[in-house]
Amino acid sequence: DALLGCHRSYRSRPTHGIGKFKYLLPKEAPKKRKERVQMKEIDAGTEHQYGDVNIQMTSYDLCLVEHFAQYVHRLCNRLSIRVNESYAMPTKTDEVLFMEDRGSKMQLDAVLTTHQRVVQIRGLSSTFAPILLEIIQSSQPEGVHLLMKQHTEADFKSRLKSRPELEELLAEMS
Amino acid sequence: PCRAQPKKKKKVDVKKEQAQKERMKKKLKKLEKAPPELIPIEDFITPLKYSESNRVRSLPALSSEESERRVLLLKKWCLFKQKQDEAEKKAIKALVESQQEALKELRLESEELFEAAIRRDEGLFPFERAGPSYTPPLPGYDPPEGKCVDITRVYTQ
Repeated sequence: DALLGCHRSYRSRPTHGIGKFKYLLPKEAPKKRKERVQMKEIDAGTEHQYGDVNIQMTSYDLCLVEHFAQYVHRLCNRLSIRVNESYAMPTKTDEVLFMEDRGSKMQLDAVLTTHQRVVQIRGLSSTFAPILLEIIQSSQPEGVHLLMKQHTEADFKSRLKSRPELEELLAEMS
Repeated sequence: PCRAQPKKKKKVDVKKEQAQKERMKKKLKKLEKAPPELIPIEDFITPLKYSESNRVRSLPALSSEESERRVLLLKKWCLFKQKQDEAEKKAIKALVESQQEALKELRLESEELFEAAIRRDEGLFPFERAGPSYTPPLPGYDPPEGKCVDITRVYTQ
């Protein structure tokens, strides 16, 4: 731009491009496109190491489950266990209805929300796994349901929105 | 006996079918191009009613004794938490050390058993455990009849 903007462009002279400076500045990263939610490769793990493991914590109490998830994340950081991701699963809402003593109508009792947080770790060694489990169990708060399992594609797919139109079309095609 | 008319019908049908198929394929390509989106999590979206209201809480002024009591309580709590954390670290260390010692002894005993012990346990996952409850369930309690209805909002792309 500096070359075309100024009217003194003597391309044959040795002073051509004398005002250039952009090559001296550090390279800017290209504009970020919308980050696509792609599934990262699932590690299967070797004989002495577990691959991707999901620690799922479920509870009706939001603050409790959040704090417990943070505690588990920090514990893994402190024990130098690699944490892939730490995300939240969508909340489920339940309506609890109960039948009145004398009557046929269902009465609304309460609306409960179930919250779930997931901490995904990788490279857990087989000797250290029972110790980690023991520590997490001993500090498990009330009402928080703990579940540890291997990470699968189905787990990842459950986080995504359903696409009924696509599925319909696929069914029609085949 | 072959007539001209049914043949025309077949041609038109085939063309129409091909056109329909192409349209469907184009639609499919368009839908597949769009990347799948994550379901938005309702926990992280503050409902509007908490941000619109102008209610502001005015707290009463604290007396000096009260504030001092609170500061001392905070210090005691910090100390308690530190002791708890140190005990946890000590427990982890002790567990790891005893495990390593046991594995060393096992190695001296037999290599085969040592190899089998080092290998990962397939039966460990999936592991499930419900948290302890404030009150255990009452024996002989007759709950009223009712049902649970799932009213989670379903998001479609």
